[in-house]
Amino acid sequence: MKAKEIIGRGEEVHGRLYVKVEKQEVRELIKTLKENKFQHFVMLSCIDWIDDGEFELVYHLWSYEYREHVMISTRIKREGEEMESLHDLFPQIETYEREIKEMYGVNFIGNERLTPFFLEGWPHMPPMRKDFDSKKFIKDVFESIPPVEDEDEGI
Amino acid sequence: MKMKEYELFIGPQHPGITGNMMYHLWVDGDTVVKAECNVGYLHRGFEKLMESRTWMQNIPLVCRICVPDPDVNEMAYSMAVERLMGWREEVPERARYIRTVVLELSRIAAYLMGIGSYAGALGIYTLPQWALGDRDYIMDIFEQLTGARIYHIYIWPGGVRWDMPADLPKLIEKTMKYLEKRLKLYDDVFFKNRIFFDRAVDIGVIPKEKAIEWGVTGPNLRASGHEYDVRRLEPYAAYENIDFDVIHYPELGKFDVLSSGGDAYTRMLVRRLEIEQSISIIRQALKKMPSGEHLLKHPNWFKWEVPPGIAYERVESSKGEYGYMVVSDGGKKPVRVHVRGPSYTHGINVAETILKGANIADVSQILFSLDICPPDIER
Repeated sequence: MKAKEIIGRGEEVHGRLYVKVEKQEVRELIKTLKENKFQHFVMLSCIDWIDDGEFELVYHLWSYEYREHVMISTRIKREGEEMESLHDLFPQIETYEREIKEMYGVNFIGNERLTPFFLEGWPHMPPMRKDFDSKKFIKDVFESIPPVEDEDEGI
Repeated sequence: MKMKEYELFIGPQHPGITGNMMYHLWVDGDTVVKAECNVGYLHRGFEKLMESRTWMQNIPLVCRICVPDPDVNEMAYSMAVERLMGWREEVPERARYIRTVVLELSRIAAYLMGIGSYAGALGIYTLPQWALGDRDYIMDIFEQLTGARIYHIYIWPGGVRWDMPADLPKLIEKTMKYLEKRLKLYDDVFFKNRIFFDRAVDIGVIPKEKAIEWGVTGPNLRASGHEYDVRRLEPYAAYENIDFDVIHYPELGKFDVLSSGGDAYTRMLVRRLEIEQSISIIRQALKKMPSGEHLLKHPNWFKWEVPPGIAYERVESSKGEYGYMVVSDGGKKPVRVHVRGPSYTHGINVAETILKGANIADVSQILFSLDICPPDIER
């Protein structure tokens, strides 16, 4: 695998190079890969490993020249840990970070557009976290809305 | 006196917008100074929902992520699950060809919708009527093959749900012949129409050297001059055994090259020419389709467990690269499914960048020429 030669680490997982790194190393690795023809930033994913108390951030890169896909994975603590924003490397990272902030509550230092994205006026826990119970949420929020009692009211 | 800059909201209820989304524009006179994409009108929380359903129960969910081109979702999800299950090489040959036919039919249907809506944005209302009418003939094929018109729930991990009926290829061929005839009319009415040349050339340009870095994929990337297609780069289904051209700028066949690429004009012509390629792919796939099984023997749906691991699979949709990252911890349900929709980049960062400096009258055609589809932004 070409990417393994470039960065000198990682293992092949289901046909993709999977690289586990510390969060401080992510920027340098993505920069090196970008300079070596891995110019398509595919996406940034977040996985909630609630039993380990960690979030896994996966940066996906693809090279059209080598036809290779690289996943750079780093883990941060679920509570209180932040990640550096990398939106200066690829502009679309800004949007992915914005979504992860909203859906998981991870703060990205340096991203000035961590504004509400899909949700508006959301006072509850970030909904993609594993401890957010959708069924309980629906029960608490929507069952407390009183039914319309007088059918003659309104139109 | 200098006119003051003002704000303009396009959507979510507006015929000139590409679905349930909104663009917030800051306008000076007729020129857009700044644009901001605003989504959130369509959030259905599919990714969250998928974590609480079994691997098979997710198939009827994923197709709903893209309304005009639903089959790519079933395909990418199934491919990722097959990868984790170790079934990648075991999918029956016949199923691969049926999948190819289904994916290409879906691509044509999506392109017809895209071209029709784009023409509507330019004020040529004949084409939307024709294109959406013709798309319905493809829906008829889907109805016979899968029982449904829009969401087919047909491509499953390990193959396809039902075998193709013996008389269906005849209907498909009849429809393809009809479409070829219609495309000539489309050319006369729209693609060789002066309104199209005058309005679309050099509008909403994505420069070739920026396209990859901005995350542009699919027909939009090819219109910028890159000859990249996932069907060629990482062949899936039966694309390996099929001969087709990757349409890209500046090779526009019978159409004139009027710009330096990456503009609305080229993007629409790439789509128009790819319909012909899809027709050719369908014919080849039907000809080469072997007989045999159409589905692997599955484990019990309710007790089915997927080995732990992480997989990413991509397919070429009518809008760009569709990818699914699927994570399993060895259980009956996925830990995480993350969908990479092509509109996530096209609709937000790319659109916000190229709308700057555009005329208000061109905003709608730029958005339609990118073929933005909000459901894949907010999965």
